[in-house]
Amino acid sequence: MTQQIELSGVNKYYGAYHALRDINLAIPKGAFVALVGPSGCGKSTLLRSLAGLETISSGDLVIAGERMNDMPPRKRDLAMVFQSYALYPHMTVEQNLTYSLRIKGVKKAEAKKAAEEVAAITGLSDLLHRYPRELSGGQRQRVAMSRAIIRHPKAFLFDEPLSNLDAALRVHMRKEIRALHDRLGATSVYVTHDQVEAMTMADHVVIMRAGVIEQQGRPLDLYDRPANRFVAGFIGSPAMNFIPARVAEDGRSVLLDLPGSQVLAIDFSLPPGHAVLVGIRPEHLKIASAGQSGFDVSIAAVESTGATTFVTTATTPEITFLLNERSSLEAGEKVRLTFEGKNIHVFDAESEQRLGT
Amino acid sequence: MRRILSSVRDGRGFDIVLVGVPFAFLFALAGLPLIYNILMSFQEVDMFSLGSVIRPFVGVDNYVALFRQPETWPILTNTLIFVVGSIAGQFVIGFGLALFFWTNFPGASWLRGLFLVSWVMPGLVVGAIWNWILSGDFGVLNFFLRESGLITANIFWRSDPSFSLWAVVIANIWLGTSFNMILLSVGLSAIPGDLYEAADMDGANAWQRFWTITLPMMRSTIGAIIALGLIFTLQQFDLFAAITDGGPNNSSNVAQYWAWDLSFRQYDFGRGATISVIMTVFVMFAAAVYVRSTRHEVRG
Repeated sequence: MTQQIELSGVNKYYGAYHALRDINLAIPKGAFVALVGPSGCGKSTLLRSLAGLETISSGDLVIAGERMNDMPPRKRDLAMVFQSYALYPHMTVEQNLTYSLRIKGVKKAEAKKAAEEVAAITGLSDLLHRYPRELSGGQRQRVAMSRAIIRHPKAFLFDEPLSNLDAALRVHMRKEIRALHDRLGATSVYVTHDQVEAMTMADHVVIMRAGVIEQQGRPLDLYDRPANRFVAGFIGSPAMNFIPARVAEDGRSVLLDLPGSQVLAIDFSLPPGHAVLVGIRPEHLKIASAGQSGFDVSIAAVESTGATTFVTTATTPEITFLLNERSSLEAGEKVRLTFEGKNIHVFDAESEQRLGT
Repeated sequence: MRRILSSVRDGRGFDIVLVGVPFAFLFALAGLPLIYNILMSFQEVDMFSLGSVIRPFVGVDNYVALFRQPETWPILTNTLIFVVGSIAGQFVIGFGLALFFWTNFPGASWLRGLFLVSWVMPGLVVGAIWNWILSGDFGVLNFFLRESGLITANIFWRSDPSFSLWAVVIANIWLGTSFNMILLSVGLSAIPGDLYEAADMDGANAWQRFWTITLPMMRSTIGAIIALGLIFTLQQFDLFAAITDGGPNNSSNVAQYWAWDLSFRQYDFGRGATISVIMTVFVMFAAAVYVRSTRHEVRG
C-alpha cells in the first residue's frame, strides 16, 4: 500500500523543550489513524506539524511522496477540523464551505454547486444561509467537517473535533465521521485524548506520552498486548489493575504482593527475585467457584450501573473487577478471584516494559 | 427601618431617581448649552444683549448671512480637507503600525505603549513642537526634504497659504495616529488566531487572509474609529491656535476655529452659534455611526 503520510525521525523543539522525540510514523492511503495520549503528550503538536502550522526541527515529513518540511500550510493540500471549529464568523455556512474554492478561483456557480452537494451529504442543506452564530454546536461541527470535505484534500486532520459536544452527540458523530471517512475513501489523522474514540474509530492507534510514541498498532492489538505499563493503563476502561510481585525461586511463577502471599504461575521464565508488575484487566477477573485456585480479597465498594457491576477491593493496591450480572456482594465480604493465565500481563517494575510474550 | 429602606430601593420611584440624577446632570451641563447655542443661532446677538435670553428673533437670517460671506465656502472646504486628510492619515498610518506591532517581535507591546506618548500630550504642546519642526528657515522638516532632494527652496509651512492647512493636518496626524493604532491593535487581537490557521489551510496567502479575514472582522472597529476620528478632528482647536491661527488670510481656517473667532474675537455671537449648530449636526451623524458600529459586533 502506498504511504500517504510518512514521518521519519521527526523532532520538534520549543526552545529547550523537546516536544516531539524521534517520531516515526507511516500512514497508508485510506487509513484512519488516531493519535491519542494525555494532554501535553505532543499529539496536537504532531498534528499541527503535519498541517504545517508548526515547523519541525529535524527529520522528514513526506506527504503523497513529496517532502513537505518547509512547505507552508496552504500548499500542503490538507484539510483540518479544529477543536474550536474555527468557522469564519462573518461568512454564511455556504461562504464558509466555498472559501477554499473561492481562494482557488473556482467559478461562483461551480462553488455553489459543490457546497450544495457537500451540504446534502452532511445534512446542512437547510442551513446554507445561516451564520455560524445561529447554529448549534453539532451543526457548527458539521460545517467544519463539510468545509474540509469540499476540498478533496490529500488527508483530513482532526484536532479533537468532538470534545465540545455533549456525550450523546459525541457517540453519534463518532460513527458518522467514520462512515464519512469510508465513503470518501479519505486518509484521516485524528487527535483525541479519549481512548474510546481512538479504539472505536481508528484502524491504527498511536499512543503518545511526553513527545514519544509509546506504541502503535491495531486497536485490539494494543489492548491485547500493551508494550508497557503506560499503554496498558491508558487503553481500556476501567483501567487495568497492576499488582506488584516478585519472581519466585523457580522462575516460572510470581509471588503477588498481596496479603496471603499468593502465587501465580506464568508461562515464561524470568530471573528469580526480579521485581515485576502483574497487570490484569477488570473484565478478566472472575469470582472463583468453590475449590478453584485464585487469590483472596475483601470487598471495599460495589457500584452498579445496572448492566455492569464495578467492584473495588480493600487491598493495596486497590483492585477493580467487573461483574456482568447483578450481584449480592457487599462491602466487607471476602471473595476469591480467579482468571485465566493467558489474560495476565507482566511488566518490569523498573522499566515498566512488557516482559515475556 | 429596613422595610422602609427596601420599599424605597425596590420602588419604581427609586429607579427613576437613579436615572434622573445623571440625566439632570447631562441636561444641565451639556443639554442646556446646546439648546442655548441653537437658540442663539436664530437670534440677533450683540455685546449689549449678551446678558439676556430673550433677544430679537431673526429666523434663519444668521444662516443666510453666513452663507453669503465670501469666506464661508473656502472655510467649509478647508474643514472637509482637514477632516478627510487627518482621518485618512491617522487611519492608514495607525493601521500600518497596528499590523506591524501585531507581528509581536520582542518588545512590541512595550514599544506600542510608548507610542501613546504623542496622544497624551496637550494639543498646544504638540503645536509648539510642530512649530519648531515646520519652521521655514531652520525647521527639521525642511532640512530633511532639502537634503533628500525633494525640494530646492524652503517651504514656509505656516505662512504659505498653499501649505498652512497641511501644516496643521500633519501635526494632527501625528497627534492622532497612536490612538488609532491602539484601538486597531485591540481589534486585531480580538480576531481568533485559529481563523488565520483555518484560512491558511484553506489555501489563502497572507494578502488574501488580510482581505478575507482581517478586514471583514475589523469592520466594527474600523467604523468606530472613523466615527471617533470625525468627532476628534472636528474638536481639534489647539493645533490651529498654536500653529497657524487660521491664517494666513483664512487659508488654514476651519469651522470650529472660525466659530470661536467669530464669537469671541469678532463678537458676532449669532454667526458663531450658527456654525456651531451646523457642526453639531455633523458630529451627531458621526456619533450615530459610532454607536451603531460598536453595537454591531460580528462574533461567532
